[in-house]
Amino acid sequence: MVESLRTRMRAVRWKGKRVHWSAYAFLLPFLVPFLIIIVAAAVFGVYVAFTDWGIIAKPIWVGFQNFAEAMGDQYVAKAFRNTVHYGLVIVPGIAVLGLMFAMYVNQGWPLSGFSRAMFFAPNVVSATVIGLIWVWILDTQYGIINNYLGFFGIPSVPWITSTSWALYGVSMASIWWDLGLGFVLFLAGLQEIPRELYESAQIAGANGVQQAFRITIPLLRPTISMVVTLQFIATFRIFSQVLVMTDGGPASSSMSVIHYVYTEGIVIGRLGYASAVSFLLFLMILAVTVVQRFLIRERHS
Amino acid sequence: MMVQPRTGRQIGSSGIRLGRLRGWQIAIWFIGLLVVVAWSAPFVWMVSTSFKPPEDVMTLEIEWFPRRVIVDNYVKVFVNHSVWRWIANSVIVSASATAASVLLGAMAGYALARLTFPGRDFIFAMFLASLMIPIEMFVIPLLIAFIRVGLANTYLGLILPTVPHVFSVYIFRQFFLEMPQSLEDSAEMDGASRWTIFSRIALPLSRSPAIASTIILFNLNWNNFLWPLLISFEDRMKTLTVGIASFAPGVGSHTQLGSFGVSMAAVTILSIPSLLVFFFLQRYFIEGVAKTGIKE
Repeated sequence: MVESLRTRMRAVRWKGKRVHWSAYAFLLPFLVPFLIIIVAAAVFGVYVAFTDWGIIAKPIWVGFQNFAEAMGDQYVAKAFRNTVHYGLVIVPGIAVLGLMFAMYVNQGWPLSGFSRAMFFAPNVVSATVIGLIWVWILDTQYGIINNYLGFFGIPSVPWITSTSWALYGVSMASIWWDLGLGFVLFLAGLQEIPRELYESAQIAGANGVQQAFRITIPLLRPTISMVVTLQFIATFRIFSQVLVMTDGGPASSSMSVIHYVYTEGIVIGRLGYASAVSFLLFLMILAVTVVQRFLIRERHS
Repeated sequence: MMVQPRTGRQIGSSGIRLGRLRGWQIAIWFIGLLVVVAWSAPFVWMVSTSFKPPEDVMTLEIEWFPRRVIVDNYVKVFVNHSVWRWIANSVIVSASATAASVLLGAMAGYALARLTFPGRDFIFAMFLASLMIPIEMFVIPLLIAFIRVGLANTYLGLILPTVPHVFSVYIFRQFFLEMPQSLEDSAEMDGASRWTIFSRIALPLSRSPAIASTIILFNLNWNNFLWPLLISFEDRMKTLTVGIASFAPGVGSHTQLGSFGVSMAAVTILSIPSLLVFFFLQRYFIEGVAKTGIKE
């Protein structure tokens, strides 16, 4: 019996090849926690979003009530506006600086290995480190940024303590922290561009700026589009540096969506409502991804 | 989403000597170096502040190098708080989570790259798709579930959600795809089991994906913030990254300005391991990012 089952399993083919049944044993130890933690949590999260789920009381099914409430919640509106605002500050900041830094390092001039390391280094430390360093650097009275601005006659900016500046203060810290990813992807993209193109452009008399705009940037468009998308998705998740630097304040001026989810869900304890808000953010991220995929396909055809 | 892996020349490696540059190139080179220095300045400022006595921290003159060097700030960090416990927690959690991710990822990556079986393409597509769903979206349900089964404030609760990280699967799959078939064929002829082939032939060859995923995942786990913040609300079960955040001086409360020295000492302690590993093994960090486009 056992023998015949074994021979029968041996005979099974998939894509014209003998099936390796042992593959499932190799995959299972990873797949089981993956399915529980990621897939099951995602499904459960959608369910929670449709309930009134407190810390202690039993959950009650409330249908679309959480979503309806979120639509009318001025703090949700503010959190989403702020999050988009973060994206519009941080993403171009990283794209422009990251590309410039990558083009500089890619020249292969002396100390470029050192420069590359320094541009990437902030990427390897945690949000706590970023937050605490930048709270100190951006301090209104004694921070080095205001100190150097003062040197040029610019009056002190209350980077973290005023409603009109807090979002920019957090954005500066985020650009410094997150630049590494875009920078490295740009660097990898630049190396794909054949050197001969620049040599012939040089013979034709094109200067450095012309070369950048006629050769580098057009050829790098797929990388630029990828960096912008990845960075938008990353920025929509902005949370820890906000929590550490400003706790969303003052007066919610630097509050992001995940920060609001944290406040509503964990601090106040409205888990169902918080879950619904985070689901809305997921839809926004999904939309960005789909639009980007669509634009790329358009260009290819 | 993904960038093709590259071989050969290291990304951005240098090769031109200063003497070969023209005048305007030297000018740009120099300005660029100033930007590099400015970019590293926050780290210099962090270390410098951490060695200053409180009265030297609050000065209107910028002192890049402390006039008087003291270690009191470090003493305060190590004496007044549960820092030792947090360090131990961080090491335990990061080490076990990373070891599990790398081993399970190697096995899964091997199966996806070398074995044929129904569902293979679907499973890999699912792994890639999961990168689009950030954990932040579903931390609340995960938290509810973990508290319900009694995993709050436990090591298992801290470790488990970070284990199924697709990064190591992806890196190992990429590596095993390029492994020559002949190595496996001869072992198969000899009647070796699949596990023997994996553990005796494939795994010993995969030093480079193993190192890459170990250091990158260890760093991610060490820096992990949101999940440890939520699942460990007792002080003794905090990780260093979350615990150190409590050293933040109250925003805007200028009476606490003197504590910037202590808070800089705390973040210096927190960031030194990551920065050291990065500077010695930066090739792995940079290639890891360039190959996968995965950061978190």
